[in-house]
Amino acid sequence: MSRLIVGPFNRVEGDLEVILDVTDGRVRAARVRSSLYRGFEQILQGKAPPDALVFVPRICGICSVSQSAAAARALAGAMGIAPPANGRLVANLIQAVENVADHVTHFYLFFMPDFARPCYESQPWWRAAAGRFTAVRGAAAGDFLPARAGLMRSMGLLAGKWPHTLTLQPGGSTHPVNASGRLRLLRVLREFRQFLERVLFGDALEAVAAIASSDELARWAERHAESDFGLFLRAARALNLRALGQAGVAFMSYGAYEQENGRWWPAGIWSGGARPLDPARIAEDVSHAWYADATEPLPPSRGSTLPIADKDAAYSWCKAPRLGGEAVETGALARQLVAGHPLVRDMIEREGGGVEARVVARLLEVARLLPAMEHWAEALRPGEPFSVTGELPAEAECAGLVEAARGSLGHWLNIRRGRIHNYQIIAPTTWNFSPRDRVGQPGALERALVDVPVGEGEKSPVAVQHVVRSFDPCMVCTVH
Amino acid sequence: MAKDSNFSFDASTDFAAIEQRLGVSRRTFLKFCTGVAASFGLGTKAAFAMAEAIANPAKRPPVIWLHGQECTGPTESLLRSEQPTFEHLILDLISLDYHQTLDAGAGHRVEAVKREAMEKYKGKYLLVVEGAIPLAQNGIFCKIGGQTMMDATREAAENAAAIVAFGSCASWGGVQSAAPNPTGATGAPQFLKGKTVVTIPGCPPNPANFLGTVLYFVTYGKLPPIDDKGRPKWAYSRLIHENCYRRPHFDAGRFATQFGDEGHRQGWCLYKLGCKGPETYNNCPSLEYNNVGGGVWPIGVGHPCFGCSEQGTGFNKPMFSLAEVKTHTPPNAFPNIADRQNPTSSTVVAAAAVAGAAVGAFLGATAVAGKKLDGKQAEASQSADKGA
Repeated sequence: MSRLIVGPFNRVEGDLEVILDVTDGRVRAARVRSSLYRGFEQILQGKAPPDALVFVPRICGICSVSQSAAAARALAGAMGIAPPANGRLVANLIQAVENVADHVTHFYLFFMPDFARPCYESQPWWRAAAGRFTAVRGAAAGDFLPARAGLMRSMGLLAGKWPHTLTLQPGGSTHPVNASGRLRLLRVLREFRQFLERVLFGDALEAVAAIASSDELARWAERHAESDFGLFLRAARALNLRALGQAGVAFMSYGAYEQENGRWWPAGIWSGGARPLDPARIAEDVSHAWYADATEPLPPSRGSTLPIADKDAAYSWCKAPRLGGEAVETGALARQLVAGHPLVRDMIEREGGGVEARVVARLLEVARLLPAMEHWAEALRPGEPFSVTGELPAEAECAGLVEAARGSLGHWLNIRRGRIHNYQIIAPTTWNFSPRDRVGQPGALERALVDVPVGEGEKSPVAVQHVVRSFDPCMVCTVH
Repeated sequence: MAKDSNFSFDASTDFAAIEQRLGVSRRTFLKFCTGVAASFGLGTKAAFAMAEAIANPAKRPPVIWLHGQECTGPTESLLRSEQPTFEHLILDLISLDYHQTLDAGAGHRVEAVKREAMEKYKGKYLLVVEGAIPLAQNGIFCKIGGQTMMDATREAAENAAAIVAFGSCASWGGVQSAAPNPTGATGAPQFLKGKTVVTIPGCPPNPANFLGTVLYFVTYGKLPPIDDKGRPKWAYSRLIHENCYRRPHFDAGRFATQFGDEGHRQGWCLYKLGCKGPETYNNCPSLEYNNVGGGVWPIGVGHPCFGCSEQGTGFNKPMFSLAEVKTHTPPNAFPNIADRQNPTSSTVVAAAAVAGAAVGAFLGATAVAGKKLDGKQAEASQSADKGA
């Protein structure tokens, strides 16, 4: 057996190392280490509750809106208020822009450049991949970055600046969008739709969203081999990325996008079939993380975050959240599975959820979201209220559960005597990249890496890179 | 044209090549350079010097970009900017030899590239620090490739030609330095004592402030004039309050007191919602954000500034607390922020009675101010529909 330390990973948000035990060219065991700690949960204690909205977006420069949304929801729960229709639509739009931007950024800047590596030189698709996706120099970045900057104008129109906005408040949005703002917003969305339809998919978004089975996807890929998504599918087939990196755990989603009657994509668990989610069964284990131990894994509403650097069994700053004692995987794949998209369910039922399914689910989500965003923008009613007001009680306990691009994000807020008594956060990558728990059960990535091939003399094995990146990790959120 | 004229270029200045490299027209490009020069308080000559510096790739300084405790917000804000697309200009203007988020390679190979670059460009490279440096327990809270951010920063600063701290975290510690500062988060200037560090605070900082500073460095081979906190004077010498478009409402005593109330919908001043514009030095009102124009910046979309770039304000003072107005003190008759929820309601008056006579007297003043405002409010709601 040999031990290999892969990292630090670049093209990843934050700091990450993976420690691999390798025998006979396969990973036997993996340990995931997050090496950055900032102490947000400690800082929030004792602050005024509305100030959570100033602090939490700074947890992450690319998930900042999701962090705001979770905090706003927790505060709204404490205040017993809900945003009016306009506020709900603006919140959906802001979150959707971030979601779409994150997915497409992951695809273009973080995931695809690995296909341009020299180790794939013999593959028939390599020349195309290298031309488009070589980091910084590839042609795709030139198409994508201006399109992304264009989309981010909508964050300006809705949220004032990006990243890090204070527009999302418990009662709704601080920014009443007027008729001309709505028009400009629709224009931004239309321009981004053109980029997606011309460059990423080479097809209408509605047509991509309507692909209903694995076979249909294969036929679609043949007809659209020239698009960037087509190129990915070609490479994924050649490398059998479906089988690679399956975690074999249940999938979880908190549900996303508020509508008048519940969430568009519902909350739930998927393990061979859909089950309801009970957030009360969530607890965090710190047996292998650099924190003071509790006698048992604590639910986040009673959780604590006390760093201790010297701890024998520990190897990460990341805690190990578990649902009813089990590790789960979260993200776009989980969201679309629970929401019942036929393509994603077909892929999982036939081949399980590996690297390819994660990437497909993300782009499918992009194709589904943009039309919904156009619809939400059209539904805005300038002149009607965007926000309601309310009073914060002196004592309250409330959770804000939302879906960020990378999966389930929860904030648990406890107010006593008008101040934040406790604030605990579980981010998507905390679930996916968690270390072992007290019974030695690995997290989703640690499982997904087992059996992944490591070539002779490979210092940063390309298959390991594919698996790690397929989760679109956000390490700064993981340990806050 | 003669070489020494204000409006001439070196014969080698190849605009066709610039147009191709930057993907913008010559006109847009020159407009941009003139704009940057103007914000430095410099004339056309400087604009042309900058244009030439960009046009001449031989002058591109090598850059080492370090990430500490942070959220990559500054890099993200750079990547979304445009005019001519900033990321394009940045990547074109400098030779980015090491950047963790954008690099092609992976793992220790990238760290080796960093070392090579530092050796090769000894004394010539520009060091950009993004993120805070945690000092507690010898820096264990942030490690890159097994090296603490403390050591990485000290090592890279040793032979840097100039150091720029990009974002509030690198400038003074930022969000993670808020009490109780569990990791001992520190800014680059405080950590690198004795070295000149130019700071571009903001959370996220405006990419234009970074770009302008780099452009100045590329053009003149030195850093622009800075204030006592290391901030370039051209960008940070004015209070947000001085250039805020809601300032007339402040002077007239018209305030929003809750998100979504009548004053808020009329676009009135956010001072009583805790706006820290009166104590924060930055150029947000003139530059705005996300390049959409039309009042797109925090105060423009109706929420208060919380002083993200100002040490001692952002992440230190509560959002809903009154700013310390640096220009002039508002009259005492302005209602206090603590009473912003319907100051004349009976519950507040009852609470005030319990609290004591001093507060009671203050509320009396509030009620008078409230009365005076009524007349103005009626006037304003007839004429003002802007900003709603």
